[in-house]
Amino acid sequence: MRPVVRAGLYAALTLAALTFIYPFLWMASSTLKPPFEVGSLALIPHDLTFENYRIMWSRAPFGRALLNSVFVASTITASVLVLGSMTAYAMARLTFPGRRVLNAVTMGVLLVPGQLTLIPLYTLIVQLGWIDTYTALIVPYLFNATAILMLRQFFLQIPQSLIDSARMDGMGELRILFTIFWPLARPALAIVAIFTFMGSWNEVLWPLLVVRDQQLMTLPQLLTVFQLGGGAGTLGVSLAAAMVLVVPVVVAYMFLQRYFIESMAGAGVKG
Amino acid sequence: MPSISFEKVNKKFGDVSVVEDFSLHVEDGELLVLVGGSGSGKSTILRMVAGLESVTSGTIRIDDRDITHLAPRDRDVAMVFQDYALYPHLTVRDNLSLGLRLRRMPTAEINRRVAWAADMLRIESLLERKPKQLSGGQRQRVAMGRAMVREPLVFLFDEPLSNLDASLRARMRIEIGGLQRRLNTTTVYVTHDQVEAMTLGDRIVVLANGRIQQIGHPIELYRNPINRFVAGFIGTPPMNFVEGNLHRENDRVFFVSEGLRVQLPAERLPGSVPSKAMTLGIRPEDVTLADGKPTSGGAGAARLSGRVLLVERLGGTSHIHFDVGPHRLMAAVSGEDPPAVGDTVGIEVPSERVHLFAADGNALARAE
Repeated sequence: MRPVVRAGLYAALTLAALTFIYPFLWMASSTLKPPFEVGSLALIPHDLTFENYRIMWSRAPFGRALLNSVFVASTITASVLVLGSMTAYAMARLTFPGRRVLNAVTMGVLLVPGQLTLIPLYTLIVQLGWIDTYTALIVPYLFNATAILMLRQFFLQIPQSLIDSARMDGMGELRILFTIFWPLARPALAIVAIFTFMGSWNEVLWPLLVVRDQQLMTLPQLLTVFQLGGGAGTLGVSLAAAMVLVVPVVVAYMFLQRYFIESMAGAGVKG
Repeated sequence: MPSISFEKVNKKFGDVSVVEDFSLHVEDGELLVLVGGSGSGKSTILRMVAGLESVTSGTIRIDDRDITHLAPRDRDVAMVFQDYALYPHLTVRDNLSLGLRLRRMPTAEINRRVAWAADMLRIESLLERKPKQLSGGQRQRVAMGRAMVREPLVFLFDEPLSNLDASLRARMRIEIGGLQRRLNTTTVYVTHDQVEAMTLGDRIVVLANGRIQQIGHPIELYRNPINRFVAGFIGTPPMNFVEGNLHRENDRVFFVSEGLRVQLPAERLPGSVPSKAMTLGIRPEDVTLADGKPTSGGAGAARLSGRVLLVERLGGTSHIHFDVGPHRLMAAVSGEDPPAVGDTVGIEVPSERVHLFAADGNALARAE
């Protein structure tokens, strides 16, 4: 490729990248600006201030909400990985009566929109007396059909002889799953972990339904309540709260970026 | 060292019978080869010994212990897989030692065994590598090492050489044979390659459609195949077969087919010779090219005339394909000056070397 063409190409790509990253950078910088400066499009604050964060922190229990979110999302992610891979292993590698039915049912679950089960699920939670508990936030998400099917697909590709060999080495099924399959399925597990964590982290509707106690609210929920209730007052404070919400996900993404890109590339190839 | 015995072992997958009435005794320290085409049931038998496949009916014993329904880990057998089945995320050392660690063996003993196997297989320098950093032959050695460190009662090999290229396969074949003799561990070896079977086996079991066709020492199978399947399976290049009939003339017996007439020595035949359809078998290496004009008949050797269709030169020997009447035969001859394509040549078929098979495929019993 000629240098001129290459330079042009890079310029175009850079421009495209900027259009995506600019709003995020603007948000980040606006949280550090005083109220009168927030309207400006500049990325470097003229008068640097942490006032927005101080106000946000003092008006609502964001620290507690952050902990709640971390706890809920981590528990759900761990459970989806452990229980999901156990189910996927059984579905992919063990023969038992009803295996086909289980496969079909798991697939069927994907066809049911979440909105449809929202009301029955809410009624159930009320009946169980779980309103305003972590249980209500966590239990409905412990299993995930998409995760099971994804892991099952990956597990199907692992050669049978590895399982045979592990059995002859004296391993039971659980040990085969966690000491042979898990290390081999790291990319698939990472994808499932990222999607589950992000899904749980960003969930607003369900917590709004089942949690009213401010001490139990997750970060996006508290943020929504905070903004809708006019607690933020200024745009800078709202943006500061959004920053707190988004930073953990960005950090997680940076660590798991390799797997994330692999999964996207893989998804492209396999269709 | 233990023996293995199979008593009327059957295996069905649904309604399909893959192994039927398999009874066999493998001696202490013996290297027994199960050979057969795909679908012959050879791998299934091996997997039943390993405990990876259930037994539909019958009993398998190692020494006097009934292992038919034991879990794989309780059988004290080790297996080498066709695709090696090394754990990709573990180093060679961990691959070798994992089975021992799971059995809670003391670390010192594990280290001793890993060092012993690595030394024996010359893989000491590879111990810290991962499987994908190894060549095919090296992986094969690690797979064998993993079986060796267990010091099992029985070794099982499931087509261990089929993923290697030809020259490496020949070398590893010699290594496996040598190793088995040194360790003197009872071994069952499955292959579809009859050369491997012939060169490695103390005894060979030829299987077809889940049934034993013949059991015997390699040379015995080569010399006295019990039926047409075994005759065609054992030996390279494969045996020539010609369909025809037996004819009695006075007290002489001939095998007759279009363009071909071979006198059979009377002592080669059982008392009552059925005069119906027969198949004559002759090994390519028993067919010789004759000088001069072909004649027919003769007591010692039948002389035929054939037109050369194809010559495959292998160096020291050549495979010569030719037509005799409507039949296509092959001769494996030595010498560097084979006839040319299109030549008409005289061919000698020594009558004491021919095999006869009845219409049902069974070899005609010899009246010896």
